[in-house]
Amino acid sequence: MRRTIPILILATALLAPGYARAKKGPLQVVATVPSLASIATEVGGERVTVESIALATQDPHFVDARPHLALSLSRADLLMAVGLELEVGWLPVLQTGSRNSRIQTGAPGYMDCSSHVQLRELPTSRIDRSMGDVHAGGNPHYLVDPDAGAAIALALAQRLTELDPDGADGYEERAEEFAKRAHDLRNRIVNDAAPAAGTPVVVYHESWVYLVELLGLQQVGTVEPKPGIPPSPAHVARLIDTMQSRDARLLLQEPFYPVRTTELIAGKADGQVLVVRFGPDLEAGESYLSHIEDVTAAVLAALAQGGAP
Amino acid sequence: MVWCHPARGVCFLVFCGIYVLWTAAAPVAQAADAPPGAAEPATTGVQRFFQSMNPHISFIADVAFAWFSEDEPLMIGGHDPHASGFTLQQLELSVDASVDPYFRFDGNIVFSQFGVEVEEVYATTLGMPGGFQLRAGQFLTRFGRINATHLHTWDFVDQSLVIGKFFGGEGNRGLGLEVSWLTPLPWYVELLGSGINGRGESTARSFWGANDLGFRDPRDLLYVVALKQFWPLGSDVSLGWGLSWALGPNGTGLGNRTDIYGTDLFIKIRPLRAGRYFELRWQTEALLRYRQVPGTLNRDWGGYTYVVVRFAKRWEAGARYERVSGIEGDDLDPEWTSLRQRISPQLTFYPSHFSRVRLQLDVDNPSYHEQAWQYGGMLAFEFNVGAHGAHEF
Repeated sequence: MRRTIPILILATALLAPGYARAKKGPLQVVATVPSLASIATEVGGERVTVESIALATQDPHFVDARPHLALSLSRADLLMAVGLELEVGWLPVLQTGSRNSRIQTGAPGYMDCSSHVQLRELPTSRIDRSMGDVHAGGNPHYLVDPDAGAAIALALAQRLTELDPDGADGYEERAEEFAKRAHDLRNRIVNDAAPAAGTPVVVYHESWVYLVELLGLQQVGTVEPKPGIPPSPAHVARLIDTMQSRDARLLLQEPFYPVRTTELIAGKADGQVLVVRFGPDLEAGESYLSHIEDVTAAVLAALAQGGAP
Repeated sequence: MVWCHPARGVCFLVFCGIYVLWTAAAPVAQAADAPPGAAEPATTGVQRFFQSMNPHISFIADVAFAWFSEDEPLMIGGHDPHASGFTLQQLELSVDASVDPYFRFDGNIVFSQFGVEVEEVYATTLGMPGGFQLRAGQFLTRFGRINATHLHTWDFVDQSLVIGKFFGGEGNRGLGLEVSWLTPLPWYVELLGSGINGRGESTARSFWGANDLGFRDPRDLLYVVALKQFWPLGSDVSLGWGLSWALGPNGTGLGNRTDIYGTDLFIKIRPLRAGRYFELRWQTEALLRYRQVPGTLNRDWGGYTYVVVRFAKRWEAGARYERVSGIEGDDLDPEWTSLRQRISPQLTFYPSHFSRVRLQLDVDNPSYHEQAWQYGGMLAFEFNVGAHGAHEF
């Protein structure tokens, strides 16, 4: 009798029936950022429900692991993450808290999207935190390149097929159609950007390397001296010098970084600040591709304007 | 004498060895002029093996400089500064990894000037059916909000008085088993129960404490039962509310028992759409203790409430108010016979995500003490190296 209580508790826990997966309903996909959520909607169509954890205005490095997100993950069939330690500060605790074996790292329901794209800024030497908050696996801000989205869509179709074989044809068809639209968009952007080739720009955080490459621009400085380290006055002064000497007129940043410093820098350098969200505002009806189209158009328009608005 | 015990010395050497092996295996600097953005993999197979198969290992050091108005300030937390001058609050070695597809491992080994201590080491199940989760090993119980957390996630330099008085300077922890259940309700409701050995003056002082009368049947364990609920009020506001109950035998005589009831409320406001680093956290806990002692039933209570505001990306300021009652004839704290209050404002600067400098003042009013007003000031430094895991909300 004395030892039965813990044994009973254990037995109850082990034998309790799974309740979370509604086998009949649509697949539940949770994406860490809105761009991935948008791709999942495009590829999954009617067969999936999609939820994004981070908002487009939010810094994806610093999302709160709010407990209700663990509840969402407890019901998820597929978790899509950007990877490369972008979510390392909050996603693992949600995965553990979800108690959901389907979406644990390594399970078929966990998709690290970075493994499907061509990465930039892979460290070639030993990295160290004195370099700031660098990502050991490469720069994780790859989603701004439509080719990355296309590759992820194709990989996602395979993954969804594994989880839901009945939907295979639809997934493949929609993914290929999406990939084609993404490639077309990329070609159009590269064409449109041709006149701006080589134009120098400055960015706040090292998050635009893929965009700079896509548009053929040249990044001549960052407002953060090192990733995650806010600028010192001396660094600001040097950056203004650089912008003036290189004739860089555009400063790109996300909305979650402060604009006071950047507006000061741009003002001194006779340039302008362009604040760009890192992902689509899904609630406002934006999609992954329309967001990239808008961002690239805004950057090219600002460059064409050439300086102070 | 530090590191005097041979077992501790061996322990330390083993960990140093592991750490050295780990760092030695990491990639050494290659040609510095290699083009940035080269697409070929930058690590060899061996390096990848060490990166992927090793647990996440991190060290967190907390050092404080303190000044107190008294020679013997009434600090009760195990990692609090206890005298004017410098204090090594702790050096924490934190290790976590997936064991296999079924378990996750977490360990926190704390080095202090008095030796080495396995603060926590436990396995957590990853995918039991039905929303259940087991945790087994040595762990901090999830009574209330602050008890389960470590020094480096606290918003103040010192431990909250009520936790120190009711559970001990290390917080309530022990060897045992925890079962928790994430209920299938539409909002977040988690139920948990754990059973641990209720011994140790600094970990379960209201229970067996220093006077362990041994295990004869399951009633001799310390149980913690808790209900945790959470509501996201839109994208910007979070509300958490918990109820906790700790029950177990105490060491004042066979059959004497202790019950501690607690409730905690947590509100966080963080506007996500404004694109600013503003954040406000308001946390409150209240505890009520019933403790059977020979001849009577002692009843006392305590709690704290604090607000912390992050007003710039790297700056936070906050203030905490604590109020803990005292009673005559308490064998654990015979001098603590009436109300004690404490107010602690703090200002914190984060040079980066991995370091922290915190200035805190304590205005302490132990009404039972001959020196009824006592003051303290603490400047605490924290630095964190390695790969440290994510934290609970």
